[in-house]
Amino acid sequence: MKILVVDDEKNILKLYEEELGEEGYTVVTANSGKEALEVFDRENPDIVTLDILMPDMDGIQVLRQIKEKKPQTPVIMLTAYDYRDDFSVWVSDGYVVKSSDLSNLKAAIRQIIEKK
Amino acid sequence: MNGETNGYDARTGDGLEQLVTEDMLNALQVVVADKAELYRIADENLNRLTVIYELTKAILSMSDLDELLRKITEEVAKLFNASGSMVRLLEDEKLKIKASFGIPEGIIDALTVGLGQGIAGTAAMDGKTILVKIGDDFGKIAPVINLQTAINIPLKLEDQVIGTFGIFDKRAADGTVISFTEDDVQILDGFASIAAIVIEKFRMYDNAVRQEREAIKIKEEVEELKDYLQGLIENSPDAIVTYDLNGVVRSWNMGAEKMYGFSRGEVTGGHLPFVPEFLVEIENDYRNRVKRGDTLKNIETIRRTKDGKLIDVNLTLSPIKDANGNIIAISGIARDITEKKRVEKDLIRRNSEMQRLLFISSTMRGELELDRLLRMVLTAVTMGDGLGFNRAMLFLVDEEKQVISGAMGVGPGSDEEAWAIWSKISIEQKSIHTIMDEIRTGPLVKDSFMDRLCCGVEIPLDDVTVLTRAVKERRAFNVVDIHTEEFSDTILIQQLGTTAYAVVPIVSKDRAIGALWVDNIFSRRPIMDHDMEVLQGFTDQMAAAVENAGLFARVTRAEQELENIFESITDLLYVVSADYTILRANRAVVRMLNKPVEEIVGKKSFEVFKDVDANWHSCTIPPGEATKNAFIQELDDPRSGGAHLVSCSPILDNDGELVGTVHLVRDITEIKKLRERVVFTERMAALGEMAAKVAHEIRNPLLSIGGFARRMEKKVEPGMKEYARIIVDEVGRLEGILNDALSFVKSAPMQKRATDLRDIADNVLSLLEPAAFDRGNLLRREIGEPVTVMVDYDRIKEAILNIVTNANQSTENGTIIISAYKKTDAAGRRVAVVEIEDDGCGIGDEDLNRIFDPFFTTRSTGTGLGLSITKRIIEEHGGWLEVESSVGKGTKFSVYFPVEE
Repeated sequence: MKILVVDDEKNILKLYEEELGEEGYTVVTANSGKEALEVFDRENPDIVTLDILMPDMDGIQVLRQIKEKKPQTPVIMLTAYDYRDDFSVWVSDGYVVKSSDLSNLKAAIRQIIEKK
Repeated sequence: MNGETNGYDARTGDGLEQLVTEDMLNALQVVVADKAELYRIADENLNRLTVIYELTKAILSMSDLDELLRKITEEVAKLFNASGSMVRLLEDEKLKIKASFGIPEGIIDALTVGLGQGIAGTAAMDGKTILVKIGDDFGKIAPVINLQTAINIPLKLEDQVIGTFGIFDKRAADGTVISFTEDDVQILDGFASIAAIVIEKFRMYDNAVRQEREAIKIKEEVEELKDYLQGLIENSPDAIVTYDLNGVVRSWNMGAEKMYGFSRGEVTGGHLPFVPEFLVEIENDYRNRVKRGDTLKNIETIRRTKDGKLIDVNLTLSPIKDANGNIIAISGIARDITEKKRVEKDLIRRNSEMQRLLFISSTMRGELELDRLLRMVLTAVTMGDGLGFNRAMLFLVDEEKQVISGAMGVGPGSDEEAWAIWSKISIEQKSIHTIMDEIRTGPLVKDSFMDRLCCGVEIPLDDVTVLTRAVKERRAFNVVDIHTEEFSDTILIQQLGTTAYAVVPIVSKDRAIGALWVDNIFSRRPIMDHDMEVLQGFTDQMAAAVENAGLFARVTRAEQELENIFESITDLLYVVSADYTILRANRAVVRMLNKPVEEIVGKKSFEVFKDVDANWHSCTIPPGEATKNAFIQELDDPRSGGAHLVSCSPILDNDGELVGTVHLVRDITEIKKLRERVVFTERMAALGEMAAKVAHEIRNPLLSIGGFARRMEKKVEPGMKEYARIIVDEVGRLEGILNDALSFVKSAPMQKRATDLRDIADNVLSLLEPAAFDRGNLLRREIGEPVTVMVDYDRIKEAILNIVTNANQSTENGTIIISAYKKTDAAGRRVAVVEIEDDGCGIGDEDLNRIFDPFFTTRSTGTGLGLSITKRIIEEHGGWLEVESSVGKGTKFSVYFPVEE
């Protein structure tokens, strides 16, 4: 199970990489929207977690492009901010408010895997 | 020399040889020399004569006098070797230079001399030639120019001097001035006599030519004038006829042809054809007077035309005289005044009618009551003394309804009634004055047959009938026969049984405000053009009065409406005079003060209002008095807890002086609350945005700190674990604050569904149970009936939870009661209410207004966002919150939801 984690903060990527790695997932990372699309093409991950607010290309644009490439790949939106009003987020497969306690994120990932 | 002494016969020449001696020869030489000199002189004179002759011929062939004189002066001066010459002619007793030679231009005018003045003046006065030689003393005949020698010859015709001719300063071959000779004088004399004649001839010729020219010009002018006069006579619309003393026609212009119908050919040479037999005597009399030299002006008489018609003419007869002043003929100028006569008669008749109308209308103008005025109008139209129609009806335009509706009718209902009325009027001999006065002052009845009939009639303006056309086209109609009139008003005809009628519009200021309908059903008298004119004249007079009365009626109605508005307005409305006396007060004021009207109106405002409140008192005194400006103030009324918007507007008279004030007091308690809520919401939105930004900036670093602390906790030795845990917990607390802040701004779409508030209360109470237990509080639910409202379950749960949490935190060992019910509020709306009541520490007055502000908290723990989120959620649902609290006793929150039933 390969997970692509996208965030513009390297520390956060490192945290996710370690924590999710410990859960047994293969973790690949990208620290910008553009890189995310490159890594997505290269690594062909099973799940993507996307930060929404990023400087170059925001998560919603990345989400749209990933869904155009491979609609079946589940994407979980991660945000420091509540974006539920944005229509684009509705096409994502999960929504998790960023927290230092990653149990919400982990639960969301498990839920998606179970559904598969 | 003596021939006989010397034996020489000079006549024959005999003995010449004997005589010849030395002396003789010498003498002879002298003689010969003398002779030669004489011969030379004679020859010279002959030459001069020849030249003069030639000159004379030349001047005779000249046509211009000025040119002639110039030529004479020049040629003569040259001929006699003179320095200059001049011709003067006698004009107005002065000798004026007419031409000159050898004299500078500039001094010519100065050479004009009077008779007896200078050489020329003397020569002219004496009629004698004057010769002045070198060395001569000029004496009294001193010349006006500086000269040394001169000849001046008077120019004479027989004995009459017409001027002078002078030459001066003869020059020798070497240029020196020498004297003129006697021979010069003689030759010049001869020339002068000829020149005088020639000059005179020229002058006469010039005169003749001038006279001739003038004669021609006068002749042309006369011809022109004659043509003009002829044209005038020919084209004049007046008939201009000339005839001889026997009455035989000499000339006959176009005007006469047109007026009398006879052509020129028919009448010329015959007797005057247009004098009617009955006027022949008078006409003869006229003719005799003209023969005696009189001119008869502006006689009004009658002529008969070719087709036998008699016409009125204005006639002027004048004598025509020949060159000797004898009267040889008569001219007659006649103007057709038939039309003028007719207009005159018309004018007289109209004048008397107008006088009558003016009287009638003057009695009505002042009448403002519409019904009375209309009655007066119709009576005037139908009275014999008035316009004398049998029946009349007034229609007025109703612009709102776009119809013409009958306003009033006057006239007998039947033949019998008509006779009765007519005979009564003739017996009573009531004048129009009396009747008008009766209508003005007496009771107004409006239920005659005609009134009833008329008042039911309404004709849409869109219909095309005589009545509507009269109004729309502002034109009078005389329907002589209803059967031939295409647009006759069928309704009227049916109801009134009329067969002929007339309608005139009532036009005021270019607007048709109605129409007057008349007929003569009983007398059967046809309505004539003249009647129409009178009728129109009458309505024109009346229109303004009818319009005024209509306006007056409208104003009265408007006044009534205003009164109604004044009374029924829910705001307090009262009018105060400049001395604070209440002039008017509406029902709302009466209700508020709870006093009878008599104790309000007429009393001083400060007294009336002083019991109510101090604030009221202050606003009763017009603050606009000084400035004369309207004044608006918001006043809180602590007694009622409400807020009022008070406006005082000055009433100014025409001079701008304050005569009073109008006070309008509106209860704006509700509006003010609403306004406060709006302000609050705006403040929240701004705060929310800020909170969101801060949250975002903080969350990422927190995430890293907390996340790695968690990882650390797992990996470090037990002693360090505690520290890691503290970091994790504190980060968790910070994230909690952020989550609160975020939920505060989050605006996910609401999902309203029918929710029983009991369910929410149960849910909240069960959630809070452990915390309540911790503080020794008792939680109680007091809800009987289900209270169902359409709300977003989760949000309302959160909202109520926040309140109950708050209650729990401010209470210790107390009771928290949650209740819910439906009721009808003060404004008549159905609402659902949730009340959360505690008996805790309570909230101080100064804090009570701020508890809904974000981040406001009195506790050391807590985000301070809970209640502001609650307020926001409730308001999203169209509800509102009320708080009552007293310190030390407890707090009661009431949450209101609108009920949609």
